Amino acid sequence: MVRSRGERLSDIAVYLAMALLALVFLLPILWLLSLALRTQAEVFLGAARFIPEAPTLDNFASVLRDGGFQSYIWNTVKLSALGAAGAVGFAAPAAYAFSRFSFRGKGAMMLGILSVQMVSGLVILIPLYRMLDRLGLLESHFGTTLLYIAAGVPVTIWLLKIAFDTIPQSLDDAAAIDGLSRLESFLLITLPLAAPGLISAFILNLILNWSQFLIPFIMLSADEKWPISVAIFRFAGASSAATTQLLAAACLLAILPALAVFVILQRWILAALMAGAVKD
Amino acid sequence: MASLEIKRIAKTFGAQSVLPGISLEVPDKEFVVILGPSGCGKSTLLRIVAGLEIASAGSVSFGGAPVDHLSPGQRNVAMVFQNYALYPHLSVAANIGFGLRRATLSRKEKRAAVQEIARLLEIESLLDRRPSELSGGQRQRVAMGRAIIRKPAVFLFDEPLSNLDARLRLQMRAEIRALHRKLPTTTLYVTHDQVEAMTMADRVVVMREGRIEQIGTPDEIYCAPQSIFVAQFIGMPAMNIVSARLDRSNSALTIAGERFAMPEFWPDEKALDGEVTLGLRPEHLSLSRTGAGLRANVDQIEPMGSETLVYLYHHGTRLCARTPPETRLASGSEVKLGLNLNRAVLFDPVTQKALYRPNPYESTTGETQWK
Repeated sequence: MVRSRGERLSDIAVYLAMALLALVFLLPILWLLSLALRTQAEVFLGAARFIPEAPTLDNFASVLRDGGFQSYIWNTVKLSALGAAGAVGFAAPAAYAFSRFSFRGKGAMMLGILSVQMVSGLVILIPLYRMLDRLGLLESHFGTTLLYIAAGVPVTIWLLKIAFDTIPQSLDDAAAIDGLSRLESFLLITLPLAAPGLISAFILNLILNWSQFLIPFIMLSADEKWPISVAIFRFAGASSAATTQLLAAACLLAILPALAVFVILQRWILAALMAGAVKD
Repeated sequence: MASLEIKRIAKTFGAQSVLPGISLEVPDKEFVVILGPSGCGKSTLLRIVAGLEIASAGSVSFGGAPVDHLSPGQRNVAMVFQNYALYPHLSVAANIGFGLRRATLSRKEKRAAVQEIARLLEIESLLDRRPSELSGGQRQRVAMGRAIIRKPAVFLFDEPLSNLDARLRLQMRAEIRALHRKLPTTTLYVTHDQVEAMTMADRVVVMREGRIEQIGTPDEIYCAPQSIFVAQFIGMPAMNIVSARLDRSNSALTIAGERFAMPEFWPDEKALDGEVTLGLRPEHLSLSRTGAGLRANVDQIEPMGSETLVYLYHHGTRLCARTPPETRLASGSEVKLGLNLNRAVLFDPVTQKALYRPNPYESTTGETQWK
């Protein structure tokens, strides 16, 4: 294919813009990496030396050995996974109803659910805090998980509705004729067939929950209950420059699992989504 | 095993009435095909019988007992869907055995039942496969296996062959018929394909816009249609429809000034006199270069191999004649059309309903009669 000069120029412009955008996101991470690889002495040189002269992995080693770090990561895994599972669990029946039943105000309700997503967490933070206080759910992973679930449910309903929509209605009919109740047909036919959609929704929630900060920040004040995001923030505020390189290493290690999950499963998620799109 | 009775079933979706009130009786073990153009309400009727759709009014009974309050699973019906509706995540064996979940059979008995059905349908070697690994015809067989394993009271088919290619359709048609002979079960079979209706049905129900136009054997539907709609819907090509004038006192039928002798056995009814609409199948028109008959001009010919279809114009009316395969006529050439009035149907031009229909089971003896 012969490409015109104009097309080539526009290609170059697109790549330039993308490179610039990537740089904006990558710079802080590279900066973190630079800090994490330094010895304490080099940290004081600041930006003057981007590439450390004597790079060391000691910082990572000491962070990984730290009992506190391990417990923060465990808390994050626990909250993220339970929150993601809960969101999928609560959203699935709702999504099934939106996908299979016709009722008055269905479209409006779908839009309403989506609009919840547009309200910033900050706006409802104080009422939410007081409500959970009344319920006695502050300072607990249980209460925090509930909020993670609530935050994840709206977008998960949409994702799962789309997944359920791709499953032919005639399978529901066949199941009904085979004597299954609505619930049985949902559990035995629809859910297994929607597994790719359920898993991608779970993973998406997992990644979103991993970076969740606001909810655990207001809910949990006890050190041993913090997820890594809150812990790092607290330490960054409290510690001196003497621990900057450790903090940087902790930050990188905290990003790593979410990044890994995304990179490893990205193809799989995509394949799963495409499988539903093509009729076999 | 049960008879099926549909009493004044009506269905409305919002303001739209799909079925205004349909009644139909199917005796035990009969194979009834519901035939109609898309949107005529035939699938809705089937779904109401299955219990998948709730009727707005009316009642469905199996073997004399109303089933309206029963869920599809409790009705003991089996259904084969257009897209087969096999469970993609289950093996063929699990798909076939799925309907037995509720049955009080041991695991071993269930497996034996699945084996037996698989043998009957010749899909034993496929039992461990997933539906996605099967061809269209194989999927169709699995769908039938899932349906017959429960020994249903009523068997329902919703356009089961429309996703198959022509050759496979031919084969499956014969197989479904053979299966019905082996396991005689009351069957309701919905299709828009008249060939399926003609070849498979004990009786055909022709539907149009939510109403039944005619119920009859395939022969009755084809040879003695009750309305112009049925006459033109059934048959490929459709029945020829010509305006004519009947004068019983002179025993004459006049078409565009051309006089034909009225067959003697046409009934002596006053209602027949005057303007009528004549219906004649293409095989009851014959062509000649000279002689008597309607003058017509050849429009085009379609050699089909076993026969040649000749399309003609007679005073602006397009007609079709089924002729021997060797017929070759140039477009525009003038021919004479002979009419076998012994097989003709007479319709009322206003109501479009039949005034006179020939007996489909009487052989045609008389050739075209001229006057």
